[in-house]
Amino acid sequence: MEDIQEILEDFLVEAFELIEQIDQNLVELENNPNDLELLNSIFRVAHTIKGSSSFLNFDVLTHLTHHMEDVLNKARRNELKLTPEVMDVVLESIDIMKALLHAIRDNGNDTSIGIDITDICTRLDAISNGENISDLVAPKEVIEKPRVVEQEEDNTDYSKMSDQDVEDEIERLLKVRKEEDKKRRENSGVTPSPSVSVSVSKVVIEKDEDEEEDEKPVERASASRKVESSGAATPPAKKEAASSMEQTIRVEVKRLDHLMNLIGELVLGKNRLLKIYDDVEERYEGEKFLEELNQVVSSISLVTTDLQIAVMKTRMLPIAKVFNKFPRMVRDLSRELGKSIELEISGEETELDKSIVEEIGDPLVHIIRNSCDHGVETADIRRAKGKSETGLIQLKAYNEGNNIVIEITDDGNGLDPDILRAKAIEKGMITEREADGMSDKEAFALIFRPALSTAKVVTNVSGRGVGMDVVKTNIEKLNGIIDVDSELGQGTVIRLKIPLTLAIIQALLVGAQEEYYAIPLASVLETVRIPLDEIYTIEGKNVLRLRDEVLSLVRLSDIFGVKQVYEGGEHAYVVVIGLAEAKLGVVVDTLVGQEEIVIKSLGDYLQGIEGIAGATIRGDGRVTLIVDVAALMNLAKGISVDIRATTESTVKVKSVPSDYIVLAVDDSAMDRNIMKKSMEPIGVKVIEASNGQEALNMLKSSEYTIDAVLIDIEMPRMDGYTLAGEIRKYSKYKNLPLIAVTSRTSKSDRLRGVESGMSEYITKPYSPEYLESVVRKNIKL
Amino acid sequence: MNDKLNKIIEKQQKQIEEPQKKEDDIVQLVGFIIGQEEYAVPILSIQEIIKPIEYTRVPSVPSYILGVFNLRGSVIPLIDLRTKFKMEPAKASEDTRYIVMKGKDNTAGFVIDRLTEAIRIKSSKIGPPPETIHADKGMVYGIGMREDNILTILKVESLLKRDF
Repeated sequence: MEDIQEILEDFLVEAFELIEQIDQNLVELENNPNDLELLNSIFRVAHTIKGSSSFLNFDVLTHLTHHMEDVLNKARRNELKLTPEVMDVVLESIDIMKALLHAIRDNGNDTSIGIDITDICTRLDAISNGENISDLVAPKEVIEKPRVVEQEEDNTDYSKMSDQDVEDEIERLLKVRKEEDKKRRENSGVTPSPSVSVSVSKVVIEKDEDEEEDEKPVERASASRKVESSGAATPPAKKEAASSMEQTIRVEVKRLDHLMNLIGELVLGKNRLLKIYDDVEERYEGEKFLEELNQVVSSISLVTTDLQIAVMKTRMLPIAKVFNKFPRMVRDLSRELGKSIELEISGEETELDKSIVEEIGDPLVHIIRNSCDHGVETADIRRAKGKSETGLIQLKAYNEGNNIVIEITDDGNGLDPDILRAKAIEKGMITEREADGMSDKEAFALIFRPALSTAKVVTNVSGRGVGMDVVKTNIEKLNGIIDVDSELGQGTVIRLKIPLTLAIIQALLVGAQEEYYAIPLASVLETVRIPLDEIYTIEGKNVLRLRDEVLSLVRLSDIFGVKQVYEGGEHAYVVVIGLAEAKLGVVVDTLVGQEEIVIKSLGDYLQGIEGIAGATIRGDGRVTLIVDVAALMNLAKGISVDIRATTESTVKVKSVPSDYIVLAVDDSAMDRNIMKKSMEPIGVKVIEASNGQEALNMLKSSEYTIDAVLIDIEMPRMDGYTLAGEIRKYSKYKNLPLIAVTSRTSKSDRLRGVESGMSEYITKPYSPEYLESVVRKNIKL
Repeated sequence: MNDKLNKIIEKQQKQIEEPQKKEDDIVQLVGFIIGQEEYAVPILSIQEIIKPIEYTRVPSVPSYILGVFNLRGSVIPLIDLRTKFKMEPAKASEDTRYIVMKGKDNTAGFVIDRLTEAIRIKSSKIGPPPETIHADKGMVYGIGMREDNILTILKVESLLKRDF
């Protein structure tokens, strides 16, 4: 029983692989009707499916493929000419075949969905008998005829048969199969069969959908089993094909996902190791073991990177899987629309992650439909314009760094930015003023807004204004970028830029005040450093003129409500992010750098927080949140903080000595008292901290505006040097007087004091008067 | 001989089973202090108890969610029970701990002021929560009566339920 299940599984996998190819072959065939090679491979597909389905008792399917086989066989022997009308019928029969296969996958039999094939079979017969089919082409309603009764017995369930019965049945069927094989070999022995065997030799990644629906877990067939079960029906691989055949094994996607997760952990470990090595290097400079450590660290990091790429590759599928359905689609559309359109595909061997391949199909369908319907003009218009009558749509895929770019070019009408603007104003999407300020490129981007369609008529192909919105949502989901270029009358180019994989990404780490965030590098267009006075305010929004574009600006810390600890300087860092067709400038306080990060979920409890896509663990073990660029753009719309105004906050003027505050940092209460006493004559207020950490927190909290700090060097938790270094990191404390008060007197200690940012160095013991005068001098009293 | 052996085995079996029967009505809890009050949660719902470590703030969440922290490679939310119970926030001290609790589909860390002890209490000594306190949120499982004080036993599932 399980064997049958397994065979069925194999049959389905193989059949779906085959039909994916057959579509493309058929369209090609229409252009080269004399290509015997193509014809043969199509014939073999029909034959293989017929063979396997009769073995598995799918009579409806067998019946249908049998008739197809007849037609194709005639065509192969040159007894029949393949006219477009004939192709229509053949293609239709392939569609029915697909529907049947889907039914088998979902229900386990081909009768329950009640597809009637008598009509299509009659037409196929008519073709193979050489009748004129144009008057036979039946209207669609006829297809909905009641089911034929003879198919009833098909529901024979193998699970109900005894083992012996099954054995007998297999025996019997094998005999039949052998005979058919023999016959077929006589027929087609002349031509080799490379195309079929190649498709089988690819690693096929399949989703384990059955797990939910199917109560019995289906064991994956090993490669050898596969050959055994379907080998009878597959044409035996010829010698030259066999040499190119790689050894393959089918692997569950779940296992690959698990592997990917493990690699993710490893990448985190590697990042951590690199960070630790940096720290160690600083501390033990020149030590001998350092070199050894260096070697280990770099070899591990190298291997990890290679491993990650290798695992990523196992999940990669050629984009041909998606592209293959388009020749057929364009052919159907061009016949339906009465236009002559040619589709040129290149780069279909480009590979990308399986999960992305699944998402990319829909957007491409919409874009290509649009190009066919609105882009390419009808033949007479094209002729009038002096273009060739046949429209050309190019579909191109190529790699660009860590991204894949898919380009859809048509040589049709192009987009008219003025019409787009007018339409958007009419629908109330933008104001007239906005429209005036819009560049042509921004106007093109309007096509992605929902409910905007420039088509004058709604056809059943497009024009409802939904499709391009789907494109935008799907591409955003993949963190991709859409770029539209068009010239009126010349054509349109739509470029989709999509990251290769989703689990481990390159990210730009930025700092907003004291917090760090990771922005997916795929969405980062550029980073610029600008003087603050280049920021303008328009209607309460901050904008920046970047080259010839006007860019909205928003501060990351405003979006995420980060506590303002320190003020920015005269300059600001702007990260220009782009998603789908939109752009935004994000002002950050620091740019940390580019890092490879592993995306981790925040768990159920914190799921769906606006603006956060997930988290990652950095080399130092801290959690850093990953920005959800799409949500960020939405959030930015609701924020209107004047960036320039907030940075120019006024400082309270101090007039009398008691307004001044000096912070005394020392772990000994006695020493702090001595400091306090020494400063009594000046009349300043003295506050105390017992270690560096405490002092730093006081400075950060901005509770007091401190004018000078007295720092002891040797303290628990954070020593004086570290404290000075930390304080100097804040731009508002760049000029704060830091006075070291210590018993360390050596020259190297003094030097270190200067290095860490101390402004004065007083050695213990000191006279109260001396300290007093130093403080006076530094706070200018 | 065989009979004797059987009897001995039976007796041993009884000895193994009986203490379990007794323990059946004893609930094991871990007690801790937040503010002035003592609370407890079932020991089995606790994954681990750790000393405070660094956490990362998460934007646009209620104030009682302090952020997320890294527990050996997992990103786990950190919830401040003081703020959640509408008490004044306090600074972390030497005794502050994170209790990591595991529910059916969530795990989260909770900040508490101080651990007290592991508590064994008979289930008959646990009363229903008085209707006036916390009843609206259903966070209290019951009130445990002890010789010298009372305990508020918290419901872990509702602590781990997202309520924003």
